[in-house]
Amino acid sequence: MKLEMGYIDIKDIQFGAESKVENGVLYVNADEVKKLVLDNEEKIKNVTLDIAKPGESVRITPVKDVIEPRVKVEGRGGIFPGVISGVDTVGSGKTYALRGSAVVTAGKIVGFQEGIIDMSGIGAQYTPFSKLNNLVVVCEPVDGLKQHEYEEAVRFSGFRVACYLGELARELTPDETKVYETCTIKEGLEKYPDLPRIAYVQMLQSQGLLHDTYVYGVDAKKTLSTIMNPTEIMDGAIVSGNCVSACDKNPTYVHMNNPVVHDLFEEHGKTINFVCHILTNENVYLADKQRSSDWSAKLCKLLDLDGVLISQEGFGNPDTDLIMNCKKIEAEGVKTVIITDEYAGRDGKSQSLADADVAADACVTGGNANEYITLPAMDKVIGTTDYVNTIAGGNEHSLHADGSIEIEIQAITGATNETGFNNLSAR
Amino acid sequence: MSKLRVVQYINQFFANIGGEEKADIAPEIRVGEIIGPGQAFAAAFGDEAEIVATVICGDSYFNENLDSAKATILGWVKEQNADLFLAGPAFNAGRYGVACGTICDAVQEELGIPVLTGMYEENPGADMFKTKVYIVPTKNSAAGMRGAVKVMAPLALKLAKKEPIGASSQEGYMPNGIRVNLFEEERGSKRAVKMLLAKLNGKPYTTEYPMPSFDRVDPNPAVKDIKHAKIALVTSGGIVPKGNPDHIESSNATHYGEYDIAGVMDLTEATYETAHGGYDPVYANEDSDRVLPVDVLRDMEKEGEIGELHHLFYTTVGNGTAVASAKAFAAEYSQKLLADGVDAVILTST
Amino acid sequence: MDFQIITNNPKVKTELEETCNVNYFEISYREILEKVRDMCHGGYKLLSHPLSGSVKPNETPYKSVMVSARKGNADSESIHIIENCMIAFDKFPDLGNKWTPSVLDDFQVIDFYLISGAVGSAI
Repeated sequence: MKLEMGYIDIKDIQFGAESKVENGVLYVNADEVKKLVLDNEEKIKNVTLDIAKPGESVRITPVKDVIEPRVKVEGRGGIFPGVISGVDTVGSGKTYALRGSAVVTAGKIVGFQEGIIDMSGIGAQYTPFSKLNNLVVVCEPVDGLKQHEYEEAVRFSGFRVACYLGELARELTPDETKVYETCTIKEGLEKYPDLPRIAYVQMLQSQGLLHDTYVYGVDAKKTLSTIMNPTEIMDGAIVSGNCVSACDKNPTYVHMNNPVVHDLFEEHGKTINFVCHILTNENVYLADKQRSSDWSAKLCKLLDLDGVLISQEGFGNPDTDLIMNCKKIEAEGVKTVIITDEYAGRDGKSQSLADADVAADACVTGGNANEYITLPAMDKVIGTTDYVNTIAGGNEHSLHADGSIEIEIQAITGATNETGFNNLSAR
Repeated sequence: MSKLRVVQYINQFFANIGGEEKADIAPEIRVGEIIGPGQAFAAAFGDEAEIVATVICGDSYFNENLDSAKATILGWVKEQNADLFLAGPAFNAGRYGVACGTICDAVQEELGIPVLTGMYEENPGADMFKTKVYIVPTKNSAAGMRGAVKVMAPLALKLAKKEPIGASSQEGYMPNGIRVNLFEEERGSKRAVKMLLAKLNGKPYTTEYPMPSFDRVDPNPAVKDIKHAKIALVTSGGIVPKGNPDHIESSNATHYGEYDIAGVMDLTEATYETAHGGYDPVYANEDSDRVLPVDVLRDMEKEGEIGELHHLFYTTVGNGTAVASAKAFAAEYSQKLLADGVDAVILTST
Repeated sequence: MDFQIITNNPKVKTELEETCNVNYFEISYREILEKVRDMCHGGYKLLSHPLSGSVKPNETPYKSVMVSARKGNADSESIHIIENCMIAFDKFPDLGNKWTPSVLDDFQVIDFYLISGAVGSAI
């Protein structure tokens, strides 16, 4: 399958009379965006839009999701298949992305809602989304709305706004084009007979309410481990419904730009044959874990793989899935490298994971999520810091009178991402 | 600004006093003198720090007179008003490494002065102290001095200035179990792809998070017929014939002993004792059966509960003994046990 | 029904007790883990992951865990998981947070949905 990705670089974002992209500036007609959200979502009472650019003294919190605007220019299907577009198979043809921009949805879904994006200062170093020109969409629910209904409404609104902005790229000429192509099994064997056969095993958060991920619109907890072409994610085949554990949940932006997929493509045809993308889940029921990890190991064997990268999402429970996958896949004679993050305590002295095994002898870490830092006050807060004292690693002393926040980095969106999105690590 | 004050600890060998034959010299302090490895450190410190005194102690003396040697040295270090206490590097010298670790730990704990030492990763002192004090890994011989100083000197200065210490991979100390965040030059996914390529190609790579190590041994199947089995006793509790004829060390044992107990029905105060320096020996010396249960096994032998007690037992001291050494001992005497037709072993510790 | 739910979440009690075997206790999160640990050592099999949910153990006060209805031989995998979960639990310091009723309700709802997912898989 072959996908041509065209990147249009966005260097600035502004509100304007007409939504358009011109000379690298993304202009947004705020009224149109608000109308788009409210017309499609009766559960949302009010929408506030704001802009946050790299380097500004701005804090966005509590963040729910981050989404990159994209548009399908040629080929089957559309962005976010099974969610916004039809369920056609995506990942081929041509897709454009407004690179350097994002839609950030924010709002209090639950009382302990976490997720901080600082656009400058030390916090900005920890979140990858400080480098983007963000359109922040804060949705206010109608009264009495249940948590999961609110989550769903915000989730869909974010995707709609991202598609609306993505559409602005349709007629543009990309600043950069990259072609991603993988082979069928037989083609791959013929074309790269001497290269090791590698796949990416991605564990999707699927524990339940506010911990969900959707593949072509299907709730991942109800899926068996399966395979995709690695290009499918670039059209939004996987989206996030995950609201908990800000530092190591994968926002939709991370799924679309999955760094493991992109870095494996860099080596594809040179040092490896990137065979496919294997998806598996992280359910709470132990027999489900056993079944899913059995299946991912079985697929690795069936595909005659030589090695896999395994990435995780979330804290605690998924450690067990990670180790099960690693152990079983290694037992099939397939070499593994796992990517995780750590909860080693504020002093770094505690055992980092809730499970361990000798088979996991090659591990990349996104850092210790319990690291305690002080975020300086920001001139402007988008959303509210009302909940800062109640988010993970926070307490009644977290928010200072001057607006600075003492917090564990687990409260920062994307800080210890477990797909290897960041440079943060630990030793 | 005045220079930072460093006190260095070295052994008799690096002080050019002598080798093993001088290992029993008592500690001495030479104020204002820079000796042996101190020269290279002094050069590396430049204007920032000076070695104000050098403490010298024989390796055997230190380990055999632990409390008094420690107290003496602590007093001197305190008097010198040191900003940093530097020990070694000890390379692969076992007792020197343990002495460096011990004295560093004491200075840090009791005087609150930052400390640094260096040694080879397989030096028993490394396993004993790497989670307590900063230890820089070195080569296994003094040929690695230059490389050691290059890593140790800048870290020493940072410690002396009480600057924040980064992750082990940045500063060059042995991972000490304390996880410290750092920003790498490449993102995690890229690092993971490189690690996978190395692993696939059989090339060396370093995991970023070593799993907690569990050196698990799968249990052997149960002994089928215990009533006819030949049972041997093995211990890391240091039980030896009175007088410790093979001089098994009280810590960091370098060898094990093999002793015949043919006809011995009971270990008595007059005939056996422990060489172990890591626990209160009173009860083991009083009755060594408490650690090596020869008396009980003789009873069982008589009552037909076991076939027979093997006439040889193997013993060493577990106290601070390197895992690699212990493994090597076991590999060797296991072959002897097999050759003697032993069916099962009772391994006792302390 | 081959399972029972050990919980300190009142919502799980009210919502599930008519259809499932729910054992509700007014005890802490850690005490729930201890109870489950003791049951695992006593021969009950662990059926859901005790650290379900990404909500950290020092945030939510609620925990529901599914174990087998009947005792059998002690299951080493169950013991391994629950023991590791207790180690993980203990590394999160008590931050002394006092939650408002609405936040407590959010925690109850999440725990309820997580265990409901396990119920869905179990029946």
